Formats: sequence, structure tokens, C-alpha cells
Amino acid sequence: MEELERRIDELRGAVRRAAAAGDRARARELRGELRAAESAWDDAVAELEFQSAQPRTAPRAAWPTSAASPPDGRQVDGGPPDAEADAGLRHAGPADAGLADAGLPVAGLSDDPGDSRPRASGTRSLLPIREQVHQALTLIGVPGAPKLIVAVHDAFFSGPLVAARLTSIRRDEERSFRTAPHARAYYLCAALTADLLAPARGLLAVSTWPLAQRVIGPLSPRVDYLTAAIAVADGVRRLPAPTPDATRLLWRFAVNIPGAHAGGRRAQPGLVEQAARAELAVHRDQDLAHRQAAAARAQAQLDEAAQLFGSRLGAAGQTAASR
Amino acid sequence: MTNTEARLDQIRGPVPPRPHNARTIAALTSNPACVRRAILDAAGVDKAKLAAALGLPAPFGQSRFAITRGNAFEQQVKANGCAELLRLLREQLGLPIPEVSYDDLEEVAGNPGLPMRHARTRQLLTRAADSGDDAGTLFDHPLLCLEVGGRLAYLEPDLIAFRLRGKFHVVEIKSFAAIDGQADPDKVAAAAIQSAVYVLALRQLLADSGHAADLVADEVFLVCPENFANRPTAAVLDVRKQLTVLRRQLSRLAFIAELVEALPPDICLDLEPDAAGVARRPAAELAGALHVLPPRYMPECLASCEMCRYCRDGARAETAALGRAVREDLGGVDYVETALQLAAGELTAGGGEEDAAALLRTAERLRLECLQAAQFPAPDFRGSHESLAAPQSLETTA
Repeated sequence: MEELERRIDELRGAVRRAAAAGDRARARELRGELRAAESAWDDAVAELEFQSAQPRTAPRAAWPTSAASPPDGRQVDGGPPDAEADAGLRHAGPADAGLADAGLPVAGLSDDPGDSRPRASGTRSLLPIREQVHQALTLIGVPGAPKLIVAVHDAFFSGPLVAARLTSIRRDEERSFRTAPHARAYYLCAALTADLLAPARGLLAVSTWPLAQRVIGPLSPRVDYLTAAIAVADGVRRLPAPTPDATRLLWRFAVNIPGAHAGGRRAQPGLVEQAARAELAVHRDQDLAHRQAAAARAQAQLDEAAQLFGSRLGAAGQTAASR
Repeated sequence: MTNTEARLDQIRGPVPPRPHNARTIAALTSNPACVRRAILDAAGVDKAKLAAALGLPAPFGQSRFAITRGNAFEQQVKANGCAELLRLLREQLGLPIPEVSYDDLEEVAGNPGLPMRHARTRQLLTRAADSGDDAGTLFDHPLLCLEVGGRLAYLEPDLIAFRLRGKFHVVEIKSFAAIDGQADPDKVAAAAIQSAVYVLALRQLLADSGHAADLVADEVFLVCPENFANRPTAAVLDVRKQLTVLRRQLSRLAFIAELVEALPPDICLDLEPDAAGVARRPAAELAGALHVLPPRYMPECLASCEMCRYCRDGARAETAALGRAVREDLGGVDYVETALQLAAGELTAGGGEEDAAALLRTAERLRLECLQAAQFPAPDFRGSHESLAAPQSLETTA
């Protein structure tokens, strides 16, 4: 490598001298040689990288493939936004081959330093925030809190999702709806509490969902948690190679569901799903009854905006819109 | 308005009284003999501002970082319908699986007003106590009410859990860590007393609607981080003793009327703040007014009362300021000057002081031996005792 570098330096000096002396033919020749030397140097560096990072290239290899076939089958815009991912793509071939030969398990655990390169380094997502939130919510299929939405998005979709910008999203969507109702295909709306039909604190839902799915009864937080666990387990199972974020998310679900966690450091999607369904069977019927009753009441009593964004108990005279 | 309340309002001045919360109510039990504190708390005086106006501000407040960390941990425990808390209750305390119902009482339909929240809390909790199956298991941030010294205090426990062996349990989420199963005993004691306040308030709420007070268990769940990670763990605290102490102290607050009677009629602790809120009353006047209220300083005051530095300053000459153990050992010797004179043998012990005098003389002898063995000359700090002859100076400022 050092020889290559020395040669490149010499060639550069020679090209400069030839160009200064006006000897174009010689300069062109030398430039050609310089280019050959530089590309040889590039290859040598790539080979060095590959050798030193052999066990670590697996997640990078997984990246382009997981972005290409997202778990819910929808198109992810833009693909990997990172320019470095192209390098990852180039290495996918040898890396995969190397791994297949070595029979190494696909590394996806949290102690994997190679993937600690932040995906968000200097990149912005190509999707607006509301699209990202919509993606995450559609994956889990239940109303979720901002922390859960961010965790699901980081686990399964590409591009950073900044949690701080989620705080005002409900207010913005409500304003947008009130100024131009139904102008957009969907709105990010609130989940309604079953007893007072008020917006539930800290939850986001999608307006295209049926009302019964957007209502929160007393048992619904737990039921929604279990449903989300099943969706996440399904998503993890469909990932070709589980990323650390996804396994961590699944782990957090597994720890809090009885019977979903069989010891050991990894959470198994099949076990999580089975345990979640078992507990869901206990609560589901009662929860469904609550929700349907509340949905019927909401449809009877509230107008459209209130059905999406909830009715509040404000000072008398201010709630005219919701009555 | 009764005479006592009128007097207390006069003492406080034309500002609204500071509301009580669980922390202040709990602190009432820590130093029951201090008349100064009893009157100041009963009148609702802002002790922090008073101490600042006197030039000796309180050394503590609530650290912003501690508050943030506490909130973050609490949100983590309560996220997703209290998923982590349910795990703890199920694993460590045997909550049955079907009990997962969750009610959020932090705001009522978007309105965070206190009376409305209290009404809704009362409604949900009495419905839970009445009914069988549809009772509800977890109540998030309920708002309870307790009458303390004639004033209504709104109290907000972190959570109330029901249906654990058919009783209500108060759940407190704190962010100090339990390392190897042990947490800082002072903090645990403080949490226990605060939880006892909540238990008392909850019992009163249920009693008002005709239920048995023992529907509320004597056991409180303390949730705190385990070891050095952020995973929560729960422990059961028995607060019966704290409940007894609390009930006794709260009933003694009724005697505040007698204390107020004994005060001079024109005493006033108004700070006279100007338009910007800066106190304009001269510190000497405030000190003179405060002197009428006899304090009882103990080192424990440093952790709980904003007036601690001022009272400590006034108590410098007294042995009581050195702590309970010292006071017990020194029996009837009240002033540091006297103790030092007894130790040096310059004063003969009067009645009842012989034990303390003997102890002091032995201590002085041992001290001199140690110093001579180390070949240090015994420093004579008798000369600096003039400043400790505080009893005389206190009387002159009256």
C-alpha cells in the first residue's frame, strides 16, 4: 500500500511538471497512469476494509435488502438514504458469500459494533413526518404513543424520525382538518376515551381506521399493547436479518408479557406472538364490547371533527363545535 | 372565619396561603415540637421567601435534574397502559391476569382543573369500591383531598392499584435506585411517610362515601430502578406506624388555636413585596417578629425546612443544635458554653448535671491525652467562646 501511495505521489508530481512544461502528450500519459494507480489504491483500501470488518458487514448487507422489501409490503421511498449504503451494496456480494461459507449466524445482536454507525448521520428522511408516523402506525395497527411510534419506525423503516416533532402533530393535523376537511387522504388523529369521548392523552391514531379501532376503553391500553406486540413479532419474523433495533423492541415487548420470554438474550417472535395471543384471548371480548358501545355513542353524538379529534370539556360556550 | 384563622391570615400578610402537598404534610410529623414551624405552616407562609428575605436562604430546593429524571422514570413505568408496572404487580405481588383495566385521571377530557379531577377521581374510585367486576385496576394520577389545619390540600399519588386481594394500594414511583435490594433509608422513610399521607386521604374519601376504611391496604408499593439500570423493581412498604404518627400529628394541629392565642396580637410576617416581588420589609423587623415564635432546631431540619439556616444560626449556643444523640447524652446541659466549662472543670455540676459533667470531664481528659501523645499543643479555643454566648444577644434584639 505504501508503495502505491508513493507511486501516486510521484505520478502527481510528474503530471504537474509535464503540464507546466506544456508537454500535453506526456501529461496525458502520466495522468492515465495516475488514474490506474489511484484505482488500484482504492481497491486495496476496499479489500482492507472488507477483511477487517468481515463479521460486521452482515447488517450492512441486510440493510439494502430489508429496505427493498419492507415487512408490510409497501414501497419505501428513496431506499437507503445513505451514500455509504452503496458501499454496503457492493459488499453485499462478498459478505454474503463469505458468511454463507463460514456458516456464521447473521449477526443482529446489540453487541454488534459495525451497525453502530448512525444511520442518521447527516441524512434527512425523504418522507415527511406524517408519512413516517403513518407507516409506523399502520404496521402496529393500534393507536400508539410517540415513543412507541419512534421505536417501531427505527426498527423497521429507514430514515430518522425525530421524536420532538411528534408533540405538535396532533394539533397541526386538527387545524389542517378544520380548515379543509377531507383534503388529505388520511389524517393523524386522536384516540378517544370510551367514557367521555375525549382525546386520550399522548396517543396518535389514523383517521382511516374504523371508530371502534380508535376508541380506548379501560382494557384497551393492554389489548393494544398485545396487538402491537403481535404485529412487531410478525414484522421481525419477516425481516430477512433482524436489526438490533427490531430485536430490542421485540425484547421490550417480550419481557412484559407473561410466557413470552423463555430466558436467554434473544426474544423469539413465535413465542412472543403465542403468549400475546393467549393473554389477548382473556381480555378481548370485554374490550370489544366497551369499544363498540363507545363507538356507537360517538357516532350518534359527535360531529366529524370531534369523531376524529375528540371533544373536550372546556369552558361553557367554547365547546360549540363539538356539540 | 374563626378567630384563629383570622389571626393566621394576619400573621401571613396579604398573600394567598401556600398550599399543602404530601411532602409538607409529611414534614409536619418530623419536628412536632417546633412552635415556629407549626405557626408558619398553619398560616401558609412561604418559608423559602421568608428565609431569603432574612438573608439565610434555604440550601435546597428541588433539583431540576432530579425532577426530570423522576418524571422520565415514571413515564417509562407507566408507558403503554402501565406495561412494566403490570409485570411487576403480576410477578412480585400476584395480580391476576384479567386485571388490566387502566383509567387516566391526569386530566378530565382535556381539562386539567383540580376540582374536576377530584370529582372524577371520587366517582371512579367509589364505583370501583361499589361494583364487582367492572371495578378498574389502575388509576393513574388520581387527585385526593385532605383537610389539614382547616385548609384543603390536594394530593396526587402516582397511581392507585386495586383488586390486589380486593384492596386499594397506593403505588409510589420514585427514581432513587434500590441496589442489591437496598435503597437509601432516608429516602425510603420519606417515601413511606408521603405514601402514608395518601393512604390517609384515600381512606377518608372512601369513608365519606360510606365504605369501610380498611378497603385501603396498609401496604404501599414502592417502584424504583433496580441496581444501576432503568428496569423497575417493586417493594412493599408497611406504613402502619407512619399512619399512626400522622394521625396523631394531624389531630394535634387542632391545638394550633392555643399556640396562636399565646402570641402578641400585632405580630406580622408580611414581606411587603414591591411590584417586582422583591421583599422590602427590613430583615431586623422580620427577625424580631420571628423571635416571638420559639423554634426547636435539630440537624434534621436541614433536610426538611426552609428556615433551617436561620434557626441554626440562632441555636448556635445550644447543645440541642448538635443532634438528638448529643442532647440525650448531655442531659440537662443546654448551652455549649456550660458544657465546655463543665468539661474543663471550671464549673461545678449542679443538680442533675453530674452524669453529663462526668462524661464531659472524661472526654476532655481523653482528648488532652490524645493531643499530647501526638505532640500537638492543646489549642485554647476558650477565647472564641464569646461569640457563642448567644443567649444574651438574643434577648437584646427582642
